[in-house]
Amino acid sequence: MSQAALLLTMTVNGDPVEVAAPPHWTLLEVLRYKLDLIGSKQGCDKGDCGACTVQLDGAPVLACLTLAIEAEGRDVRTVEGLSHGLGRTKVHPLLDAFDRYDAAQCGFCTPGILMAAEALIRERRAPVSRQEAAEALASNLCRCTGYTKILDAVVDASAVMTGGESPDENEEVRDAG
Amino acid sequence: MPGEDRERDWQIGKVHRKVDAMERMRGITRYTDDIKLPGMLHAKILRSPHAHARILSIDTSEAEAMPGVFGVVTGKDFTIPYGIIPWTPDENALAVEKVCYVGDGVACVAAVDEDTANAALRAIKVEYEVLKAFYDPEEALANRDKALTINPYARKGNLSKHVVLEFGDVDDVIDNSDLVVEGDYFFEGTTHGAIEPHCAVAQVEGNGILTVWSATQVSHYLHRELSKVLEIPPHRIRVIQPPLGGAFGGKSEPFDLEFCVAKLALKTGRPVKLLYTREEVFYSHRGRHPMKMKYRTGFTKDGKITGVAAKTILDGGAYSSFGLVTTYYSGQLLCAPYDFGAYRFESTRAYTNKPACGPKRGHGSVQPRFSIEIQLDKAAAALGIDPIELRRRNDLGSDTKTVNEFRVGSNGFVECLDKVETASRWRERRPTLPYGQGLGVAGSTYISGTNYPIYPNEMPQAAVQICLDRSGRARVFSGANDIGQGSNTMLAVIVSEELGIPLDDIRVLSADTDLCPVDLGAYSSRITLMVGNACLNAAQKLRRKVCEAVAKRWEIPRKRVVLAQRMALDRENPERNVPSAEAFQWAEADFGLLGEVGSYNTPKDRHGDYRGGTIGASPAYSFTAHLAEVEVDPETGLVEVKTIWVAHDCGKALSKRIVEGQIEGSTYMGFGEAIMEQHVVDPAHGGVHASPSLLDYRMPTFLDTPTIDAMIVEAADAQGPYGAKEAGEGPLHSSIPAIANAIYDAVGIRLDTLPFSPPKVLAALEERRRREEAGELAPHKADRRDARRSA
Amino acid sequence: MLRLPHFQVAAPETLEEVVEALRATPDARLIAGGTDILPNLKHKLEAPPRLVTLGRVKGLRGIRRDDAAGVLRIGAGVRLSTIASDPTVGALFPSLAKSAGLVASPTIRNMATIGGNVNLDVRCRYVNQSDFWREGIGGGCIKSEGDVCHVVPKGRNCVAAMSSDNVPVLISLDASLLLVGPSGEREVAMADYYRADGTNHTKAEPGELTAEVRIPLPKGPRQTDYVKWAVRKSIDFPLVSVALRVDLDGEGAEAKITDVRVVVGVLGAKPREVTKLDAAIGRTLADPEVAALVSEAAFKQCKPLPNVPYDPAYRRQMIRVYVRRALAAMA
Repeated sequence: MSQAALLLTMTVNGDPVEVAAPPHWTLLEVLRYKLDLIGSKQGCDKGDCGACTVQLDGAPVLACLTLAIEAEGRDVRTVEGLSHGLGRTKVHPLLDAFDRYDAAQCGFCTPGILMAAEALIRERRAPVSRQEAAEALASNLCRCTGYTKILDAVVDASAVMTGGESPDENEEVRDAG
Repeated sequence: MPGEDRERDWQIGKVHRKVDAMERMRGITRYTDDIKLPGMLHAKILRSPHAHARILSIDTSEAEAMPGVFGVVTGKDFTIPYGIIPWTPDENALAVEKVCYVGDGVACVAAVDEDTANAALRAIKVEYEVLKAFYDPEEALANRDKALTINPYARKGNLSKHVVLEFGDVDDVIDNSDLVVEGDYFFEGTTHGAIEPHCAVAQVEGNGILTVWSATQVSHYLHRELSKVLEIPPHRIRVIQPPLGGAFGGKSEPFDLEFCVAKLALKTGRPVKLLYTREEVFYSHRGRHPMKMKYRTGFTKDGKITGVAAKTILDGGAYSSFGLVTTYYSGQLLCAPYDFGAYRFESTRAYTNKPACGPKRGHGSVQPRFSIEIQLDKAAAALGIDPIELRRRNDLGSDTKTVNEFRVGSNGFVECLDKVETASRWRERRPTLPYGQGLGVAGSTYISGTNYPIYPNEMPQAAVQICLDRSGRARVFSGANDIGQGSNTMLAVIVSEELGIPLDDIRVLSADTDLCPVDLGAYSSRITLMVGNACLNAAQKLRRKVCEAVAKRWEIPRKRVVLAQRMALDRENPERNVPSAEAFQWAEADFGLLGEVGSYNTPKDRHGDYRGGTIGASPAYSFTAHLAEVEVDPETGLVEVKTIWVAHDCGKALSKRIVEGQIEGSTYMGFGEAIMEQHVVDPAHGGVHASPSLLDYRMPTFLDTPTIDAMIVEAADAQGPYGAKEAGEGPLHSSIPAIANAIYDAVGIRLDTLPFSPPKVLAALEERRRREEAGELAPHKADRRDARRSA
Repeated sequence: MLRLPHFQVAAPETLEEVVEALRATPDARLIAGGTDILPNLKHKLEAPPRLVTLGRVKGLRGIRRDDAAGVLRIGAGVRLSTIASDPTVGALFPSLAKSAGLVASPTIRNMATIGGNVNLDVRCRYVNQSDFWREGIGGGCIKSEGDVCHVVPKGRNCVAAMSSDNVPVLISLDASLLLVGPSGEREVAMADYYRADGTNHTKAEPGELTAEVRIPLPKGPRQTDYVKWAVRKSIDFPLVSVALRVDLDGEGAEAKITDVRVVVGVLGAKPREVTKLDAAIGRTLADPEVAALVSEAAFKQCKPLPNVPYDPAYRRQMIRVYVRRALAAMA
């Protein structure tokens, strides 16, 4: 049982973090158990569902199959990080699109999907098609939505995030206040 | 109906941001597994590696002595059996004398962490006497050796439930029909696959109250069963359902983990958490029953159904779960959307040594729907009638009764058929699609809640409490379980509609037995209709008070006061208005603290007066039509479902995109069952689960799922809030037979068993080719083979 | 949560340090992307005292065209997503770009490396399950903790399936591996690297690691392809896996075939190269006989087993169909 913990240094959502973890822990355990970053979910235990997807140096990876030590010295971004630096009232355009389209039903797969989608849009720097989005998100299982509204939201957000207009024409009841 | 002093539909039917989605997306919502309590222990369950065995002894002494282990429980700690249906309490929290399937819980350890708990499990010694196991329901039913009765509480051997109901002289009617279609069908077992694994946390409060947080969709029933098994009165237990990561019926009854964490928290005095591994989720199951179905259907030469006779064997697995209800549902829910005069079903549920089956989205009625819709397609082909036209001719209509005496109110089925027909361009395309491509249609119906609760009582089926705050906000207390389907948002939309405040100003507190009125839970698609009605009831009472207080001050009749846009306005002089907060303050001054309760109970005149006649009866029924386009590769047997058009009559869509999302998600889930999913055990290897992981239990990915075109049909029902009916389960049913019928259209093969896997499709294609070559069948689409993809 | 067993980790930065770490702990296991070994460890298929991670070894990175040696050198640590989108790989070895892009899922391809993928452990429905599950089938099998085979009754040899998408392609391209170990470097042709024994399916010696994949640059015109069938279009391992390469004596429709290579995976532990294809040589790709005789030879020589799901007879039939279609598409 006696295992010397590793002392790891990494950047998490822009913050420098020092954290001690047993050598057999995954990055997912460090995030959830040590840093209380509960947005990254554990759904399947072993890389089959994508709910734990985070970004390591900008690329989506499965935190449940990443040893904690692999994050040493690297830049980790979790779903919580998407809302960092936006202030109290602003919403990340990707989250805003998911919210408008009701693309999160139970929301459990959503953080992983957001991290994969954000990486796609950032890399493409252009509006993405439904097919491109589907290909980029093909690691992520969603059991609620039938994927339709998620694709609507990603396509919409990619337009907004690359300087375009949202194609969303649906009447939404806005806050009257 | 809602009064005229409501500005019509300022919220109803619009698009809404869900009240709780943003915090989920920000990653700050605490689901059950995100709960962390000081001193919390972690529990793990030791499970049976045998499908059927007697437990001779359990020795936990070594585990208990291990450092870091704080408590161990076994079946001896939970000798009182429970079951979600009060008539069939046939399982224990942990096995008492015997284990009934691979994965049955035997002992549970609470330790400082999961690693220590796992190590302790390995130190528990269990001696088993292995028994012959049954994996086939008919073999299980044929067993006469009492020593091999699977379920320890079973009274009739391996028979779990048998139901026969007959309406009219079925055999005579069918025998005298112009056309008789007979078919044998098999629906394979499938499971829910919610991405959040089951999880529960228990803590004993300072005052001795036991609090259990659980990823459940039925907190009230869990509350009752915890009380029964732990022998603690209900008022000493609090059950909280934290935000939930999907359920689909898979979390609709108590499981071993909730009893275990509760008992271990009581035993150790420390909080205890138990999170299932994905493998354990597959063992807990309660998914779709495999059903073997024999259907005999009579038709007139015009395509009118004369009678239906069905014989069904349900493979129940080791425990009853909802099985009593499933057995009824397998027959009772078949009698719409088509009108026919004679019906008989005989359904037999068997115990087998497998994970117990239960309710999966479309409980009990997805399987018979598969059979009947293929029967109709076969009749349409035999009679030369367009399959959509044949369905129209059999439409049950509205404000009528089914053959099994269910009273049906609104019915938008024909409009559903019209919509999918138009959207798919069925009439132009179906006659011209080449060999290998096809269109298929199917229809269905589902209940908006059941007329009776699971345990008989005369109290309301749903209740909601609403308080208005002088700051202009509303608090809604509801026992209903939001499982991702959006029921919290549905309640906020109703309160918003009635009280004129936006969704942001409404906080919905749900599924906490200490804070909220009782609700029966998220099952049988009951929440929008039942809890919605209760909420509307309370909100209307509050609206009247607020309007009255405003009317008094403006000296106008109450009916002239409108609540909308975070204001109270004078309908005839909208310039005259006050903010909602001020209106609420006036009302509070006049009436005292503004709080109202609303409740709902079902009408009791919706069903027949025969034994079992209440089971499956609902205040209102939804209707659906699916139309699938497929492409079948004749050389590989691969079926590509390209598009599914689906129209669903939900009465009234209270929130447009949430309803669409339910239709899309249901359709997708049916597609998965049609093409790839199968929840089976391996009889040749001790009855182990064949695919207890999300790698091997294949659920469709983004790239596999067809384009889904969801269309809303609104045949408002007098029973529903604003006319609303269900949308969460109905739109799964006909997804599957629509695909089967499209495959027939494409290549001329009937697939009467699920799933439509490539080897099965290819074998059927080869059989068809053989029969075509032997001259037994004319070549399918002989004139449209030119465009066939090059082989 | 399904837990990993306890182990120590080492994170060397140079190849020499890796070799030393493996020497110091003989039972240590290498970990690169982790997408294969970590599920296996979570399933308690192994319990190494130490994992040696290759994540920080800079010497394993990079794709380099070496014209002097006539090879493309791909560092073992290069991610599959990089290979799938690399323009040089795409231009020289399109079938490899394709197979790398078809592995599992996009996120897994961001993690998994080519070195890990060529050393992917063989897979079997009776092996890649939890220790609890394996207890349920009577205590595992010859590849895990037991002594029987559940695929071939009374079989003494493990027939778990080679399930790498890239290995058949690399063999078809005559690739070799640079192995580095305690006694220095050696180069092994990938065609010779695999053994028909699922319990020990490569010829890597104890303490050796794969440092580089070397692929000979094409010497003349050729057509290549990779075909994968799995139930889903993502996440799944292949159930049918075929690499093809047809060398031609010139460009255009009249070009004659000078060599045909067909390598099939997901049979037993070793990929199978289809032989006796000489009858195709000298013909053009447009000649329908080519697709017919090559696919028939593949069908005759490849016998899938029930080590992975889906009927072996069906999968065998599909080898024939997919080989024929792939060749027809090249014409």
